[in-house]
Amino acid sequence: MDPFLESLQQSAFARFVGESGSLLGYPTVLFLHTLGLGTVAGVNAAVALRVLGFARNVPIEPLDRLFPIMWFGFIVSALSGLALLVTDPVTRLHQTVFYVKLLFVLLAVINMQMMRSRIFRGPAVSSGVLPANARTLAMASLFLWIGATTAGRLIAYI
Amino acid sequence: MNINVPHLHLLLNHIPTIGGAAAFVLLIIAFVRKSDDLKRIALEATYVVALFTFPAYLSGVGAQQTLLEMPDISQLFVDAHWTAALWTFVLMQLAGALSWLALWKWRRTSVWPTAMVGVVLVFSALSFATAARAASLGGEIRHPEIIVNAQAAAETGAVSEAAPDGGAPSQTDVPPEAEAGWLTGRGLGKAYMDRNWMWPASEALHFIGLWLILGVILLVNMRLMGFLRTAPYSAFHRLLPWAALGLTINVATGMMFVTGTPEQYGANISFLWKIVFLMVAGLNLLYITVFEGPWHHAEAGQDPPIRVKIAGATAIVSWLLVMYFGRMLPFLGNAF
Repeated sequence: MDPFLESLQQSAFARFVGESGSLLGYPTVLFLHTLGLGTVAGVNAAVALRVLGFARNVPIEPLDRLFPIMWFGFIVSALSGLALLVTDPVTRLHQTVFYVKLLFVLLAVINMQMMRSRIFRGPAVSSGVLPANARTLAMASLFLWIGATTAGRLIAYI
Repeated sequence: MNINVPHLHLLLNHIPTIGGAAAFVLLIIAFVRKSDDLKRIALEATYVVALFTFPAYLSGVGAQQTLLEMPDISQLFVDAHWTAALWTFVLMQLAGALSWLALWKWRRTSVWPTAMVGVVLVFSALSFATAARAASLGGEIRHPEIIVNAQAAAETGAVSEAAPDGGAPSQTDVPPEAEAGWLTGRGLGKAYMDRNWMWPASEALHFIGLWLILGVILLVNMRLMGFLRTAPYSAFHRLLPWAALGLTINVATGMMFVTGTPEQYGANISFLWKIVFLMVAGLNLLYITVFEGPWHHAEAGQDPPIRVKIAGATAIVSWLLVMYFGRMLPFLGNAF
């Protein structure tokens, strides 16, 4: 076993999250992880649906203000995810599906930032014309968050 | 709580039976009198009845566990009632979901989607029939005096205890709903749990539904709270069916969790709170979908009045609480 991972798992913080039985430990961290994923994936999906042509009367440009909310969700999810990881790093880091999930999340976040720069801060945004690849980016965001959620859920099973 | 779950179940049962019948009759009168106002009231009533069919059905799941511990209760009669109740629940939810969609369309176009309202009428009629059957079978669990051939019923009870594990009962008086098979409550739950890929697959879907609801609810209700004012609320309202799709996925997968493992939910305090806030969120969804307040008081550039802002905040908070108590099912309650 990796001594570094062992020491992480034995740290006071990891033991509080994983073993204290406190409602503020594992249950709260797990809730924050769900809240974060719900916010980042959900708000990203909502703006993707707008880009795909639903709610056409909602202008694109002001939706740029939603990206800090998505980033907030991502940060909450990432920090709570790290806290969950240190409770059982040896198991997680030997699970293929864990890396599959991380890959989906990485691609989803890159895609999210590309949506922001190409669509919501693109040169044509004030005229209401969407760039040629806007629909592809929007479809990709839905696909990648579905993939990340599914792989994440399967960590508990395979 | 000062009343126990079986008592609560007896109270809530009246909502899908009597309430469902009232909404059905209202919709028929609306068609006969060609009244658009009455159509709207009937569809809103159908939606609210469907919403309160959740606690009616789920309190039955809880009551079942208390009852099955009693020596004089026949599992066959409980299972027959469960099956009729499950199909009432499914039909009532279909009627409620289509009512919501018809109300959403009407709000946007001022025209009733007549075919859709007609289908609501059909589901309402079918659910009334199954609700009547569920009520009758539910009565037979504890009131043998209403069974025509009480003697045979008593023997049936004895047989069921002799063969509790689904041995085919020989008595003809056993309600057909009790027969094993995946169309029964217990049979469906077993078929679901026997396929071990189904639970993880439903969980993944349940989480995808969760973020779909949360994302759309956040965006739409930010407008009601006074943010993103450049566009009118009506533009954001267009996204609501996506939240409804998420809710449909989560009701379907959530009900499969309950049907597969009723013992995890029947006496789970976290689940009780989840359903309480689901009722708040569901009533709020009706308000932001069809009521005049949000629709007429959030025009482009307009800061909505305080009651509309409160409705928007209520939507976000109540859905977050549904999520919180769902996440707490294994920690505040006894689910795995």
